[in-house]
Amino acid sequence: MKTITLTINGEHVSCTEGSSLLEAAQGHGIKIPTLCHHHSLKPVGACRMCLVEDEKTGRIIASCVTPAAQKMSVLTESPRVLKHRRNIVRLMMAEHPESCIICSKGNRCSLRQYAAELGIGETGLYPIPNYRNIEQANPFIQRDLTKCILCGKCIRADHELVVTGAIDYNMRGFDSRPSTLFDRPLEKSTCTFCGTCLSICPTGALSPVSIFVGTPEKEKLSFCGFCGVGCRLSLGISDNQVVEVNPAHIKKSVNDAALCVRGHFGHDFLNVKQRMTKPMIKKDGSLSSVSWAEAIELVADRLTQIKDKHGPDSIAFLGSSKCANEENYLFQKLARIGFKTNNIDNGGYISGRLMLDLIDTRTDPGRRFNFFAGTLSGLEMAEVIFIAGADPSHSIPVAGYYLKRSVKNGTPVIVADPRKTEMAGLASVWLRLKPGSDLELINALSALIYRKNVYADSFIKRFTRGFEKYSESLSSYDLDRAARITGISIQEMERAADLLVGKKIAFMVGDGIIKNRYGMETGEAFLNLALMTGSIGYGGAGFHFPAKENNQVGAWDMGTVPDKLPGRQPLNDSLSRTSWEKLWGGEIPHEVGLDLCGMIEAAEQAKLKALYIMGENPLRSLPDRQRVLNALEKIDFIVVQDILNNETSKLADAVLPGAAFCEKKGTFTNMEGRLRSVSAVVEPPGDAKSDFEIIGLVAEKCGHTSLKCSVESIREELSKRIPMYEKGRSNFHPVWIKEAIDSDPAEEDDRERLISFSQVVTADEEEADKEYLFTAIIGSKRCHLGSGTRTGYSPRIKAFNFSDAIEISEQDSKDFGISDGNKVRLVSRNGAIEREVCVKKNIGRGMVFVPAAFNGNDAGLLIRLTKLFDSTSEGWNCCPVKLEKI
Amino acid sequence: MKPAEIDKEKLLSIIEAYRNKKWGLIPLLQAIQEEFGYVPPVAVESVADAMKMYPSHVQGVITFYAGFSTEPKGRCVLKVCRGTACHVKGGKSILRMIQKDLGLKEGETSIDYQFTLETAACLGACFVAPAMMVNRDYFGKLSPPKVTSVLEQYRKDKGDN
Repeated sequence: MKTITLTINGEHVSCTEGSSLLEAAQGHGIKIPTLCHHHSLKPVGACRMCLVEDEKTGRIIASCVTPAAQKMSVLTESPRVLKHRRNIVRLMMAEHPESCIICSKGNRCSLRQYAAELGIGETGLYPIPNYRNIEQANPFIQRDLTKCILCGKCIRADHELVVTGAIDYNMRGFDSRPSTLFDRPLEKSTCTFCGTCLSICPTGALSPVSIFVGTPEKEKLSFCGFCGVGCRLSLGISDNQVVEVNPAHIKKSVNDAALCVRGHFGHDFLNVKQRMTKPMIKKDGSLSSVSWAEAIELVADRLTQIKDKHGPDSIAFLGSSKCANEENYLFQKLARIGFKTNNIDNGGYISGRLMLDLIDTRTDPGRRFNFFAGTLSGLEMAEVIFIAGADPSHSIPVAGYYLKRSVKNGTPVIVADPRKTEMAGLASVWLRLKPGSDLELINALSALIYRKNVYADSFIKRFTRGFEKYSESLSSYDLDRAARITGISIQEMERAADLLVGKKIAFMVGDGIIKNRYGMETGEAFLNLALMTGSIGYGGAGFHFPAKENNQVGAWDMGTVPDKLPGRQPLNDSLSRTSWEKLWGGEIPHEVGLDLCGMIEAAEQAKLKALYIMGENPLRSLPDRQRVLNALEKIDFIVVQDILNNETSKLADAVLPGAAFCEKKGTFTNMEGRLRSVSAVVEPPGDAKSDFEIIGLVAEKCGHTSLKCSVESIREELSKRIPMYEKGRSNFHPVWIKEAIDSDPAEEDDRERLISFSQVVTADEEEADKEYLFTAIIGSKRCHLGSGTRTGYSPRIKAFNFSDAIEISEQDSKDFGISDGNKVRLVSRNGAIEREVCVKKNIGRGMVFVPAAFNGNDAGLLIRLTKLFDSTSEGWNCCPVKLEKI
Repeated sequence: MKPAEIDKEKLLSIIEAYRNKKWGLIPLLQAIQEEFGYVPPVAVESVADAMKMYPSHVQGVITFYAGFSTEPKGRCVLKVCRGTACHVKGGKSILRMIQKDLGLKEGETSIDYQFTLETAACLGACFVAPAMMVNRDYFGKLSPPKVTSVLEQYRKDKGDN
């Protein structure tokens, strides 16, 4: 790119061609005041604060919208500029109400800051504030548009970053204000309460509704503790409490200025009274507070006793997809070395670990470090996007913004979903398939692409094997049968295939696949499709799996799983096992341990005597609560180490209060594979300790003193032993493919790295259920994460009263005489729930949508607990139900 | 009395004609206003969908232009000129007279939706000042008898159109 040199305030500066004067100045540390400018929004030049004087022409120009030109010479603080700038601020102040004294924006208000800097105490103008009603009916965003200066940042953030379009300018001139459609209150508009607008507002026009009033004492950077996107946050802290959450506005970070309703307002759970603050042990049937020493001693004694009496495999460890990498690493080390068992899993089992595992094992046979699709920003340069069984706008909203921006930029998007999700509404092709028929759809698309003869031939030759056999089965594939099973016409599938042909695909594969029956088979089918189109190893192509938990990927990487060691190294590989044994100075058992479902089954059979749970709430998050409860009650000794009192902790024999993400040191790995390092910005409440410290104390008491160590030493160990956690390593792409593409011709050792196609597996054709006429689809809403333990405790999320209503189609509502607000009983073969009904246009006949996480996650009652990815599993995502009006 | 019901099918057929047309928003809104006399709020979401815009954005455009109205107007829309030439020639008295005659203030619509009274900054017909417009017809060199006869004529025409 060409470099331009110019003069600003007599100083020679250079910038790249196309930069604005403002950017050129900022790049050299020259400050120019701005109100309507934000680095991630398109400049509009609305506020005129950034005026500068062109020395040659004497013109006064807005620097944010004026491109820097060669040999230009500008002054940013000339008397003329200052005179104009003062007048602009004077006019704004004259229209502004005199409520600064009680405004929570306080010293963070840009208008107030510039007025102070320019020395404007009295405007000398007749004040004409444009008084408006303050809108504060919702528990999240307070709008006092009297203070609005019409910079349009909220509108542009809404349109350009979040792509929701809830607000826009309304009216003209003095009456002009940002407004929702028909000027309705926010809760009656399309607003998702992501709060992006209130964090970007330069004045107090938009502010959070909060019990905290004023400016936090300090602001500290951290990462969001909810989903796997891992947004950068700026936490406002007062009196050792997180009182305000804002996006960190860091350029090129995953979220920059955006956030979602959970991230912005859901962190209230950090300060609720249900936080665990003291260790407790069960005495005479109820939990009572004890000292740390007593609790640790009990835990260590009982675990050791049980191990000695019933053998190591009578104990299981449940790690956490919400705890840090170092903690998970230490936890599995405690299980494997301290207690000689591989009975270790984490909550990621519920949210898609098996799919990650499948794709990893199949594409990465030689233990090379990779990630499947690279960064989320790659979605914005994808050739085509295929979203299947995922509703990212709700499950991982900030990743959803990337998708919506891609659509806006014209990227073709295909959505396969039984429901018309937000993305389906925006998609080029929406494949409205029958629930659970994804396997046939993917096979059919592959067959269509194969028959069009436009697959990635050179990619297939170079990086894969088994294509001949696979293609044979594709050529004989019965498309009519697929059309019958999926309910999608061949023409419609052709339309989708035409969009995919000759392009590298970015996949977003969600719960509808991961947690459904035929999960593994569908995963294989997706991989076949990806290999055939050469969609792996390039930026903007490959697999994205919406990670529901902030450290779902990290917990898996750390070996908090029954069949893998840290670094995703297979347990049954003796080479990797011995290398870890050498490092840890102890033997690792050979047999693959119990996964989360296996633990419940083992408990039912009274084979499991002790369970150590760290940061998980299986009683709420697993389906079939009664069965899980019965199983857990059979366990002799349960340790729950958590931050909140929850369903599972009530059953515990010992409760150890842990620390939340912002109360401890550690690293998290987001769904892109980016490592995020956090430090303690507040102290854990009461006597609570970081989970790392607690595991160390338990290990030490059990006689494994080597496990009592510092977070730094573990981090060092990780970076030395796990290639993808090497310092400075970016582990975004399947490195070998990328390297091989870069270094033509093919290397010799590529041969053994080849990824093999798997055979086409077809689903059975089924007859319609005569008794259970509806299919219930269970899915998330953006206000709650996972099973909603944390978000369910957040006062503001609770206060909003998000609807938990079961959604049914218009036709069904007519046929069954059910209307909005009626109460119904939803009965499956496994259980029943009662809720209100809401009639929706986005759902088809014969389907009902049940939002998860509400009412103690009662949606799980409908589902039978089966092992995911097992060929006999019915899946956890949908089930046949009947509807009874009550 | 209520304003005429919106013929939804008619509305949707107008919108359909403009679907996916580039820069079609303002012509579309004009076509709707031409048909119904105003842009009914129920049209906003369908228009936004056809134009692939946000409904809030469409509303922003409608409320920005004085030429678009979101409220139903009378059968006859009177625009009395407030321009300099008309002012000098007694436009203010003409306006006062019409206000009295119709019993309406500026911007108001009669309860039977026959008349809406508006003013304009200048109609550009200064050579016939004082002037006013009724729907698309100009009336110049107004005098009290002329105003009365014009209004009478439009009252009589009721039902034609």
